[in-house]
Amino acid sequence: MWLNVKLREEAYKLFRLYGRRLTEKGYAAGHGGNMSIRAGSKIYITRHGCTLEDIKPEDVIEVSLHEVTSFDAISSTETVVHREVYLQTQNLAVMHAHSPYAIAISFFTEKMKPIDAEASHILREVPIVEGRAGSEQLAKKVAAALKEHHAVIVRGHGTFTAAQTLEQAYRLICMVERSAQQIYLTEILKRLGFEFIKPKEI
Amino acid sequence: MYGWMGKLLEVDLTNKKSKVRTLNDETALSFLGGRGIGVYLIFCMVDPQVNPLSSENILIFAAGPLTGTITPSSSRCAAVSKSPLTGTIFDSNAGGQLGPEIKASGYDAIIISGSSSKPAVIIIDCGEVKVKGADAYWGMKTSETIKAIKQDFGNEFEVACIGPAGENQVYFACIRAGDGNFFGRGGLGAVMGSKNLKAIAIRGNSKVEVANAELLSKLSGKAIDRIKINPITGKVLPKLGTPFLTKIIDNIEALPTRNFCEKSWTEAGIYSGEVIEEYVTDREACPMCPIACKAKIEVDGVKMHRPEYESLWALGVNCQVKELKQVFSASKLCDELGLDTISTGSTIACLIELSQRGVINEKISWGDGEAITNLIEKIAKREDLGKIMALGAERLAKAFKANELAMTVKKLELPAYDPRELYGMALAYATSNRGGCHLRSYIVAMEVLGVPILIDRKTPIGKAELVAVNQNFLAAVDSLIICKFATLELDDEIISHIITATIGKPFDRGKLLKIGERIWNLERLFNLRAGLKFSDDTLPARLLMGGKVPLREMLKRYYEFRGWDPNGVPLENKLKELELLDVVKREAS
Repeated sequence: MWLNVKLREEAYKLFRLYGRRLTEKGYAAGHGGNMSIRAGSKIYITRHGCTLEDIKPEDVIEVSLHEVTSFDAISSTETVVHREVYLQTQNLAVMHAHSPYAIAISFFTEKMKPIDAEASHILREVPIVEGRAGSEQLAKKVAAALKEHHAVIVRGHGTFTAAQTLEQAYRLICMVERSAQQIYLTEILKRLGFEFIKPKEI
Repeated sequence: MYGWMGKLLEVDLTNKKSKVRTLNDETALSFLGGRGIGVYLIFCMVDPQVNPLSSENILIFAAGPLTGTITPSSSRCAAVSKSPLTGTIFDSNAGGQLGPEIKASGYDAIIISGSSSKPAVIIIDCGEVKVKGADAYWGMKTSETIKAIKQDFGNEFEVACIGPAGENQVYFACIRAGDGNFFGRGGLGAVMGSKNLKAIAIRGNSKVEVANAELLSKLSGKAIDRIKINPITGKVLPKLGTPFLTKIIDNIEALPTRNFCEKSWTEAGIYSGEVIEEYVTDREACPMCPIACKAKIEVDGVKMHRPEYESLWALGVNCQVKELKQVFSASKLCDELGLDTISTGSTIACLIELSQRGVINEKISWGDGEAITNLIEKIAKREDLGKIMALGAERLAKAFKANELAMTVKKLELPAYDPRELYGMALAYATSNRGGCHLRSYIVAMEVLGVPILIDRKTPIGKAELVAVNQNFLAAVDSLIICKFATLELDDEIISHIITATIGKPFDRGKLLKIGERIWNLERLFNLRAGLKFSDDTLPARLLMGGKVPLREMLKRYYEFRGWDPNGVPLENKLKELELLDVVKREAS
């Protein structure tokens, strides 16, 4: 019981911190976006309908790793996706944001290949999948993609990242969005007539 | 006329005659069906001052324009009358096949007037009506009655009946509709009993014509997809049923126990969906419903329907019974005797508190499952203490000069959400046209479930407006009729598109909400004429103690938002806006 309380408190602190950061960066708005951490056979996840900008203690919901429980009724609609990622991978934190550049890029390609040095080294490429928010089908696609990659974009919806910590998951969200932004800017410059010079070494 | 059958059947039990009335376009479009049509007919046909258990009261079973179509979660029916328990206009809503059979019989509603001198059963076979003797069924429990009537008239008949509690006119007797569905609240079973009407049995072969079948099919498919993906309607309800709420409501300390003396109970976990899941043997669904929230359970070799969250709360948590199996049995007993489980459990909780405080001589303890079972029997038979308990918690408490122990609003026993933790629910209970009921606005969807958005449950800000708009929306939903659970995913936009496809006339969310508001105001007018006052829009003193729940403040704003005067009376301008002036004047003349 003591540990549960501590875990919940810790989850609350983390969710509050990264919820604010995601919102400040414009990666989540309204009640969009969600995040979770895994603790043993439990998942602590943000509440359905809460605003990441102002997470409250009641917005941290505990659900089972293995099955649908009562609290799935008030946990994030994407609980099914988070659960599947934990079941399919060794990750301990999952984050989902509605980051605008990644969403925009997702309408034009099957996978996003970062062009900057850091992201291309860490992310290599970011697959783009399709599926309805909260569906089993999407859960399976996202989990499959996150077996091989750090991040995946759901076309027209947003980015999912998975990592060992929420901090890492957050950094990956930022990295994907930054890469998408760079691709966008590069394409604009190309269309303005600038010559694209591909780095010989990256 | 698409969607509607265009006909209302009136059966006069006094002279055993029936006639068919026409449902005109204007009335159908103004009140839809179900609750709306029922309220309109009661308003036009019943003197608000009438004794609900006299032959002058009428009982209506009404389907809606979507009933009998392929719209998901639309197999429902409304029963509407003046309630003996609350003295208000009262509609109760049940799933199952009754609604579709009414439509298949060629009618939108059945109006039952008068009363029979002897026990009777109404048989409606493909539109043809007969009133037959029911001596053979009188005294039977509800499931026995349904089985016997089906044996005598045919298995294809859908049967709605009362049990011994209805026969004895217990003020909170329910009506059973088929295998596992109930018109639970408000004592409409007692209205049937007062008419000596044991049951109605109905079957038909008519089809509901819809304007654009292809579009309706497409929209229904889309709606089903959405319902299946939604975590509540697609995962939690199908697996755990309504008992999923136990943990969630207890977690925020809004689960009343010991007759609302406390807001949380350490033993409540035994009533969780997860624990009850262990007894489930089969899943069940109403026709056309992709949610399938019902289930059969098996307890010591006996099969029964899984009790709903409210039943488990009323008979278990509120009375602090620690033995789950006793509560399963008590719930089944209520079903068989034809008693509303919420009112039964709450009236018993009131009695236990009377006992514990030494107000009455009888010694009954919290958690005494056997005593509770005995009391249920006595209520249904109106024996001993059951005589006064059969009138509900408010009259019971008043009889012992302990009015403050009745956890009721407008004499209807409160359900399983503590308003001290949910301010919207506090206002919703207080302003409900049928008394203390969670389903009039189901604001708990926003305050707890976060549907469509999570709101602060302990602030009065915005609650007056949200409660009123939700009341309007659900009044319309109850008139279509769609299950409220489906509205946890389906919003007014897709519902409006479904209506358009069904009736073939332009329809939008604005119209839907206006119809709901019209129904709400007509109910209010009936209640005011029946003698209710704005002072009845309140909560039990126990729940207002300490002044934490800002009810008065919310109520003032609520009246203003509704366009009512400070005494809660709809203003003429509002009635004009809702096109109700003609209805009101016509009725008055």
